Amino acid sequence: MKFSLAWLRRHLAGDCSADRLAARLTAVGFNVELREPCGDDEVWDVEVTTNRPDAMNHRGLAREAAAAGCGTLVPLAVSLVEGAERAHALARVTVEDSVGCPRYCARVVRGVRVGPSPAWLAGFLERCGIRSVNNVVDATNYVLLDVGQPLHAFDLSRLAGAEIRVRRARPGDRLTTLDGVVRELHGDDVLICDARGPVAIAGVMGGADTEIRATTTDVLIESATFDPLAVRRTVRRLGLKTEASHRFERGADRAMARTAVDLVAALIVQVAGGEVAAGVMDSAPTLPPGRTIAMSLARLSAFAGCEIPADFAIRVLTDLGLEPRREGDAVTCRVPSHRVDLELPEDLYEEVLRHFGYDAVPPVLPPARGGPGERLGSWPVTDRARDALMAVGAAEAITFAFVPAEWDAALASSPLAGRGAAVTIENPLSARLALLRRSLLGGLADAAAANLRRGGSRVRLGEVGRVFFTNEGGPREEERLALVLAGTTGAWDESRPVDFFDLKGLLEGVLGGLGVVGATWQPAYAGVLAPGEGAAVVRDGQVIAVAGRLADDAAALFDPPAALWVAELDLAAAGPATTPVFQPLPRFPAVVADLTVRHPLALTWEELVAALRAAAPEWLVEVAPVVRYRGEGVGSDEVKTTLRLTYRHSERSLTQDEVNAAHFALMEALAGKLPVSFT
Amino acid sequence: MTAELERIRGEFLAALAAAAGDAAAVEAVRVRFAGRRSGLLRQLEDTLKSLPKEEKPAFGKALNELKRFVEEQLASAQAEAERRTAAREAVDVTLPGRRPPAGALHPVTLVRREVEEIFLRMGYSVADGPEIEDDWHNFEALNIPPDHPARDDQDTFYLPGRLLLRTHTSPVQIRTMERQRPPIRVIIPGRVFRRDSDLRHSPMFHQVEGLVVDEGITFAHLKATLEAFIRVLFDPRLSVRLRPGFFPFTEPSAEVDITCILCLGKGCPLCSGSGWIEILGAGMVDPRVFAACGVDSSRYTGFAFGCGLDRVALLKYGLPDLRLLFSGDERLLRQFEGVRR
Repeated sequence: MKFSLAWLRRHLAGDCSADRLAARLTAVGFNVELREPCGDDEVWDVEVTTNRPDAMNHRGLAREAAAAGCGTLVPLAVSLVEGAERAHALARVTVEDSVGCPRYCARVVRGVRVGPSPAWLAGFLERCGIRSVNNVVDATNYVLLDVGQPLHAFDLSRLAGAEIRVRRARPGDRLTTLDGVVRELHGDDVLICDARGPVAIAGVMGGADTEIRATTTDVLIESATFDPLAVRRTVRRLGLKTEASHRFERGADRAMARTAVDLVAALIVQVAGGEVAAGVMDSAPTLPPGRTIAMSLARLSAFAGCEIPADFAIRVLTDLGLEPRREGDAVTCRVPSHRVDLELPEDLYEEVLRHFGYDAVPPVLPPARGGPGERLGSWPVTDRARDALMAVGAAEAITFAFVPAEWDAALASSPLAGRGAAVTIENPLSARLALLRRSLLGGLADAAAANLRRGGSRVRLGEVGRVFFTNEGGPREEERLALVLAGTTGAWDESRPVDFFDLKGLLEGVLGGLGVVGATWQPAYAGVLAPGEGAAVVRDGQVIAVAGRLADDAAALFDPPAALWVAELDLAAAGPATTPVFQPLPRFPAVVADLTVRHPLALTWEELVAALRAAAPEWLVEVAPVVRYRGEGVGSDEVKTTLRLTYRHSERSLTQDEVNAAHFALMEALAGKLPVSFT
Repeated sequence: MTAELERIRGEFLAALAAAAGDAAAVEAVRVRFAGRRSGLLRQLEDTLKSLPKEEKPAFGKALNELKRFVEEQLASAQAEAERRTAAREAVDVTLPGRRPPAGALHPVTLVRREVEEIFLRMGYSVADGPEIEDDWHNFEALNIPPDHPARDDQDTFYLPGRLLLRTHTSPVQIRTMERQRPPIRVIIPGRVFRRDSDLRHSPMFHQVEGLVVDEGITFAHLKATLEAFIRVLFDPRLSVRLRPGFFPFTEPSAEVDITCILCLGKGCPLCSGSGWIEILGAGMVDPRVFAACGVDSSRYTGFAFGCGLDRVALLKYGLPDLRLLFSGDERLLRQFEGVRR
């Protein structure tokens, strides 16, 4: 909020330099963010927190400055001369809704001459960012910025029946506000009405019909307080924020409503002439008693963690107008009507502490308590997942949790994405951010495609994050890991395009790192993966991961210049972190023998190995692929697979004759069970 | 006859020089002069046999000297030729190696883990909670009732069923206090969402939050904890400055500045010349928050603090733009290859 330094000084006696004033205000919680010279004056941009509406004006800020040791607060002087004519004879005020409007004060000024404001007045307003309108309206704005009371001036001659009624809106109520917009009003809105209907939306904006114009001579000034909740609801519904509503939403000072109406009447006469009618219309002249808060000086020091001298605490509370009364350790404060934020002893601790200075409190580490800390919830598994990504050479990406509907639709056929409906955002920033993701693949595929388009040739990205579903039980979050691979792999002199087995190797590495055991790879024909180039990883009958080439129609959404190999894993499948257990090292040498098998393409490696193991002695310890051959001499639906068999007995050395016999028996058994040959 | 030996010696040296260290040429020289069957030296041995007896000793001695000389010269020329061959065939050790691909953790992960380690060492646990929240945990229990102006500061994404995307990690404070009795020492890193997008704001970003609740927790404890944290995270020379501020869930509240990490307080563009950068919000837990969680505020006090992890990452690594963090751009991400936390 903008403040004028010269204006602040009008409320402060004593000479305090501008630098000290700015430093002290910042220290006690009113951060002076910017100081700009402006002629003889300086304009300050001061951050006033939302809980301190009382300091959103020059006098309020000056009160804080005085309490912070920058002089003393000058008493508020009102020099008002009333004429003979009685206000009550000229207008009538009725408050029908005292909840929506706890206090309504009004005065009448007759015979004003509406015109431009004097330079000093227009200057003050403009420095604080308010456009000068005319002398009467400017006077109300001046008092607003001076003491924080929002005011409104009506052209009395245009108030039907010379009457003000404060009530809730009724069906059909509408008003053209000062900004020329027709506003439909609603049962929650508090309205200022005349005998005919609405003339202002309470605490927000006046109506165009009754505004002050060049020909206005008689003015009715409103100085009221309105219910913060009612004002806030109206502001939100109409999307209309004003200087007045900003303050009423945060809580206005009921005592100031009465004082300000005198201040503004006197100022109008000073700048626009006329005469103030005698008397004030006041709907609630008696103020309710202020709250009292009791606190303990010993607890204040204990709370701060250092000794706060009692005299200091009392001095600050006094300067802030809290009228502290001390009885031994107990201090009782009376909360003035402008301090809407004070309720609890802790609120008083804050008042004393911020003036004591947060910097003056010596730092002391809290004593150690409890055992060592640990990572809770999903952190252990998600962090292991990130480490597993790193171990297979992926760069960790973080992409948005919101996705466009077309991404969601394209990926929905993945068995991992179809675990519930997508969660919609009711107020998205844009259509591109309308749904919560059910799969990490969209964001990652998008990032991979962008990297390829930028000329990246070896894309290897991973992400760990949450996906979201909704069903009868409400929304659910699941932790996921995803990978995308594209372009080439291998070193500079042996580079080649990535394929399924590069992706599978990465995912196997991740599964190993996460202790996922007992999973099998099965061909998958889900629409999200290209036919014949995708797999589902299944454990206990449930798909825990998918991996393969992203199907062309899904990939088209991301416009990648090359194939995208993608994988996604449900992190619920991760096993507990385990401690490795030493296995004894082999004591006897191994015998290695290769075996080349010609077999139909439809016979999988897994089936081949299972048949081998079933027929082999227990000392066949390892079977590994060496090479696969298709081409000349091999049928078009056949393949030659060379396997390397490692034989090793745990208790003795094997003889070559023994191995040979076993090897040939194995070949015979295999040929008996499977459509294989060895030529 | 010894003149003949001198001539052959001269011829040999000329031939060897002409071979110029080439292995094949040196071999040809060897065959011509020292070949076992028909080398010149072999022929001279025949000549020796046919000489008159009185001339034999002198010629024999000279011939042996020449043979030794030729053998020595050939040996050293062959060694030189081998050395030259090896040099010609050597690997270019300056070519790049075949390096296995290195992984890279995201900069936000790196700073998160760094923050976690600092607090784990001080006995804090690391908690988490749902990203889809209800109004109670995200707002009401944190002393932000419906229609409270503080809700304006946190533009919220709403979901069906009166749910929302959490706007801060603070709801996990509430969940922690609902679940666990004091003493509580916990930090809560996590992803949060606000309906805001421009140069300095992303609709999704990361925070870390701390909560300590126990008997006798003071404002002085908060200050010291933040100081310890900041000095380990950035630089032991940094100071921490607390300014009064406002958060609905703490009383009193503080905005926390640290000495500018670039200029160490001298003033630079990063800190707009002030020497300070604002990095944390903190305060003593508001008794209303304790009441909402069933914690006895006459017995316990506590402090809480929070900061943006993305901002810490930007500061720590000198990154220019928040949005770059969520672009998945490998040119950025690969700059963190192999960095472990």
